Amino acid sequence: MEALFFNVDTGFLEAIVRGYKAGILTQSQYANLTQCETLEDFRTQLSATDYGNFLANEPTPLSTVTIADKATQILVDQFNYLRSNAVEPLSKFLDYITYAYMIDNVVLLITGTLHERDTHELLDRCHPLGVFDTMPALCVATNVEELYQSVLVETPLAPYFRGCLSASDLDDLNIEIIRNTVYKAYLEDFYQFCATLGSPTTDVMQRILAFEADRRTVNITINSFGTDLTKEDRAKLFPAIGRLFPEGNNALAKADDIDQVRIVCENVGEYRAFFDGSSNSGANGHGDDAGFATQLEDRFFHTEVHLNKLAFLQQFQYGVFYSYMKLKEQEIRNLTWIAECIAQDAKDRIQDFIPIF
Amino acid sequence: MSGTGARENIFATRMALTNTKLRLKGAQTGHSLLAKKRDALTTRFRAILRKVDEAKRKMGRVMQLASFSMAEVTYATGDISYLVQEQAKQATFRVKTKQENVSGVVLPTFEVDRVPGSDFNLTGLGRGGQQVLKAKEVYAKAIETLVELASLQTAFTILDEVIRATNRRVNAIEHVVMPRLENTIKYIISELDEMDREEFFRLKKVQGKKKRDNAAAEAQRLADAAERGEEPQEDEPEAEATEDLLSSKDNDVIF
Repeated sequence: MEALFFNVDTGFLEAIVRGYKAGILTQSQYANLTQCETLEDFRTQLSATDYGNFLANEPTPLSTVTIADKATQILVDQFNYLRSNAVEPLSKFLDYITYAYMIDNVVLLITGTLHERDTHELLDRCHPLGVFDTMPALCVATNVEELYQSVLVETPLAPYFRGCLSASDLDDLNIEIIRNTVYKAYLEDFYQFCATLGSPTTDVMQRILAFEADRRTVNITINSFGTDLTKEDRAKLFPAIGRLFPEGNNALAKADDIDQVRIVCENVGEYRAFFDGSSNSGANGHGDDAGFATQLEDRFFHTEVHLNKLAFLQQFQYGVFYSYMKLKEQEIRNLTWIAECIAQDAKDRIQDFIPIF
Repeated sequence: MSGTGARENIFATRMALTNTKLRLKGAQTGHSLLAKKRDALTTRFRAILRKVDEAKRKMGRVMQLASFSMAEVTYATGDISYLVQEQAKQATFRVKTKQENVSGVVLPTFEVDRVPGSDFNLTGLGRGGQQVLKAKEVYAKAIETLVELASLQTAFTILDEVIRATNRRVNAIEHVVMPRLENTIKYIISELDEMDREEFFRLKKVQGKKKRDNAAAEAQRLADAAERGEEPQEDEPEAEATEDLLSSKDNDVIF
């Protein structure tokens, strides 16, 4: 029955997004890009793709930052087009996608406010997808109390902040902990929201979000080894969703080294492969752990791309919008990586990006 | 006369000669000491030059690694620069200065002092924390190389300056001071010889004059005696003539 009426409201946008998806760089285009000697060649190669001449008006020499900025701008334009044509509940769904960026922006502004910087210059640094109407108002606040009472509660993120933080927390908690606490609340809320949309959106989205949650849990665990983050605090940052939840999360909260993380993750079939080759690292000491964690990050990226690609296999659901955004983000990261490798003459690492199609 | 080179304006006396000889000896000792110092400094200078070269090459590699690790961070987490800037409250990487003494030259050396722990160890908690840590380590290493290079480079400049000054002094002593002193000594010796000869000649002259005077006086006496028709008395002038000239005080002789 879902499929019957889906196209009335969303058929057009789904067609658009699938069209956009066809423009994602292919394996052979990547192969061409990695052959480039200079960023000028890079620009020429890119102009033959869907990016067109988006760098045409940039003065030489090109910087990798400019490339990333311009590519992001294209993505933002596409997203805004989708958003302005969307109706409920897709519009709400698209809003949820922007909340992740909003969290980053708000945290950035809070950091600025805490250190009494001129917050106006921060607005330029904010991610364009996370810009919302009342965001400039955050700059008005001069202290944290005011920020929380009058400004933050007006934003769409208010429930997340209200649920987990008080005004006094903002003053003395580490900003990264705030960010992760809020993000955890966001993920859980998004998960609940997807549940209300019904199958097949629920199926697709919950699988992606569960992975995202697990990835955060594992990352937070590994990254908090050797820091002054207590185990109780660590447990509070784990999203209460995902395949590791709840017994995996409990075990991870108590984990002391990477081997314990591996044992926990082996309980989930899909995650077992991530830790291949880590079993011998424990013997080699701590030095390998860092290298392994970097590798793990790469495998997470791979799986994320894989899951997002799977979303395109089902029709009549909203997951494609989310997946498209994520894939495009990965593509921008890939472009930045390749550009960076070309600029820094590090050809041996240039293949380390994650091809999408 | 030794008018061949510059010499000091000095009275040619035996006293001055002794003094000048002492000064020449001093200059020679000073010259050999300074030359030794110069050689020691030059050896050190060469060693530092080699190290500077090595450090510069190393820095090139390390810096490239560092900026590449930054690229990895950007790939994994995005832009973290602002967060890191804001959360850094105290310096975890400090530089201490110490002093080292190389043949009397004080060279400052810089030492790295890393304060354990950092203000942003939770950056990238949710994503890319390992890359952030790695980038931090790599950059710390890069700065260590920079500090090393800085102390080498400072030592290099200071040593260069000191070696120049020492070289100037060595050359000045070798080519100006010592020839002048030698010339002065030659001059004094030749003046003294000259004075000896003049003295001798004058004494001869005085003697000759005395002889002539005596002869004249004798002739006069003989003539006077002839006029009076007396026999000349030989005895008295004979006694006078054998008298030692130097033993009697003569008004014509000043010293």
